[in-house]
Amino acid sequence: MMGALDGLKVADFSWVGAGPRATKDLADNGATVVKIESARRLDLGRRSPPFAGGDGRNPDASVFFAQTNTSKRSVTINLSDPRGVDVAKRLVAWADVVVENFGPGYMDRIGLGWDSLQDIRPGIILASVSVAGRTGPMAGFRGYGNSAAAWSGHCDMTGWPGSEPHMPPFAYGDVVAPMMLTVAILSALEHRDRTGAGVWVDVSQIEAMVQVAGDLFAEMPAEKPANDDPDMTPHGVFPCRDSQWIAIACENDAQRAALEEILGNAAVAEATAGRDASALETDLVAAGIPAAAVLDGKGVSEHPALNAAGHFVRVEHPVIGPAKMPAPPYTFSDTPGDVRPSPCLGADNAAVFEKIGLTEAEVAELVAEGALA
Amino acid sequence: MKLLEGIRAVVLADHLVDFGGSILARLGAEVVLAQAAPLTPARAKAWHKGMVRSDAPLETLLDDADILLDDRRSTPRHHVDAMAARYERLVHVVATGFPGETRPVTDLTLMAQSGLMHVTGTPDRPPLRLPGEQAYALTGIQAATAALMGLRARRHTGRGQRITLSALQATALANYREAVMYEHTGRIGTRRGNMLVRGKSGVRQIWPCADGYVTWSMIDNPGMMRALVRVMQTEGAAGELAQIDWEEILVADTDQAVIDRWQDVVAAFFARHDRKTLADWSLEHGWGLSPIIRLSEVRDTPQLKARGVFDPDGVPGAIFAVHAGRRP
Repeated sequence: MMGALDGLKVADFSWVGAGPRATKDLADNGATVVKIESARRLDLGRRSPPFAGGDGRNPDASVFFAQTNTSKRSVTINLSDPRGVDVAKRLVAWADVVVENFGPGYMDRIGLGWDSLQDIRPGIILASVSVAGRTGPMAGFRGYGNSAAAWSGHCDMTGWPGSEPHMPPFAYGDVVAPMMLTVAILSALEHRDRTGAGVWVDVSQIEAMVQVAGDLFAEMPAEKPANDDPDMTPHGVFPCRDSQWIAIACENDAQRAALEEILGNAAVAEATAGRDASALETDLVAAGIPAAAVLDGKGVSEHPALNAAGHFVRVEHPVIGPAKMPAPPYTFSDTPGDVRPSPCLGADNAAVFEKIGLTEAEVAELVAEGALA
Repeated sequence: MKLLEGIRAVVLADHLVDFGGSILARLGAEVVLAQAAPLTPARAKAWHKGMVRSDAPLETLLDDADILLDDRRSTPRHHVDAMAARYERLVHVVATGFPGETRPVTDLTLMAQSGLMHVTGTPDRPPLRLPGEQAYALTGIQAATAALMGLRARRHTGRGQRITLSALQATALANYREAVMYEHTGRIGTRRGNMLVRGKSGVRQIWPCADGYVTWSMIDNPGMMRALVRVMQTEGAAGELAQIDWEEILVADTDQAVIDRWQDVVAAFFARHDRKTLADWSLEHGWGLSPIIRLSEVRDTPQLKARGVFDPDGVPGAIFAVHAGRRP
């Protein structure tokens, strides 16, 4: 059976997290995604821990990279060499979609700006993701992981009431922006299929984080909500035995009555202390109460429901060995996805360069001269 | 530009797909909200934006629908399966809390199972969720994604299909670090507050300034450190930082007491200047600093105004910017 995106061809110039997570969505669902990389300007994702065997010098040992780039192909092209750019243009001519998250103006400087891409491949879709977007007074902004949280109100609203702003402990903009990028690419394809016209979709990390906080902008709370909810009570995280925690949220009177039946009349935190979080979760859920033990990384890795659902797919990576990779959270009845290992650096040079019309001799010459590196 | 013009979707909403329906609507699809669990007025304003309510029978609505977003967070809705199966071209996205089961979940309990709450907050307080309803928002985006992939597949097969989606997976997928770190190093992340810990030392991420806060961290980036110290010298505020050869320093390997002393110098400098001044210097000199914008200020930031992110109703509208291409 085919994948949902079989036949879709993507020239992926993106790196680290914000672009690659979107192209992973496409590749895991059947698109042919060719990742354009260079040993001379290594994807920083390849330098990100953890590393198989602790070998941070091996560009193929990063598990971070492996889980962000499943099911893709990799070619090495030196984009600082005009002959390398010429090869990249051949890939653009082959592709339906070009994805990039370079610094401001880089694509223009190497001759792969929006106008040039359309000249090379009429109807092409360009998908860009950046911290602030490609237009506006901050179009030239070079940001870091915290920038989108700072500019979007997330940092201001995270934390306990009365406390200083709190930085989310991970780059949330690198999570939600690529999700929006995937939506953008798929919408653009729908548009192109209907009209024949390509578009440039321009996703901003700040805007993606604003979008997922839409309820806060509608409510405009004066104080950080922390674990409170305007509609539910009790609603919070309560202590359990052995430093465990349990989240409990009651949406209606029936759930509140059921909770009281199990915990008694004492304050919730008093009643949960001393209980095992997992056992209490089982009892509360059986009674129809939304409840869940607070899991750490080990708990997520070993989560029975996640593992049973195929949330982690075990693949055999040539350097990392057997490793669990995250799969899409959806399952298609007729066009199932297929999560395969991430590519080693330049692993698909021969096959891809042949596909775009380069002879073996031409490839050898360009490699020798450093244009394909 | 309305990318999804001509697409028709029907939404049965119970928190998991509400935002997904709104995304499709804001991209130009005609989206009918056929059923919806109650939301607070503010949440309805955000998550139902762009959808049109209808009391028409579901079967009638499905007659010309391309997509059905079917939210089974608290109701099994088994009868909908048989009805949806009658429409061969319908892309039917079924969302549940846990994979394949109706189990009581809310945004909070989903976040608790994602591993993200365990590392958010301070060590002396309970685990903390991210602000808003992030588990629901993440699931909503995945619902829209699944629907659009279903449309793409339909172009090739001529048929719709049934797509199942779980909020637990959508939320856990956002945690790209904790599970993989445990599996490959045995390390389990903890709540560190605003401290960024690398190697043997931790550095601050949040700094008070004259009119609020900024975010910046003393990381191993010699160029950035030199750029900051140059301005501090000009302002007579560099102190001992002016004598440091940043090429020879690895912040991650420096004793915490030394880091704290250096950070005190930076803190005193930041405290004397407002967010705009510091942000302008950062942009000009490449410090990697950002001002912490208060929620109430976000709508009026020049960048978001220029990009038209917020609609007159005060909530965000367009999901992303679209620049038209030439017709071939």
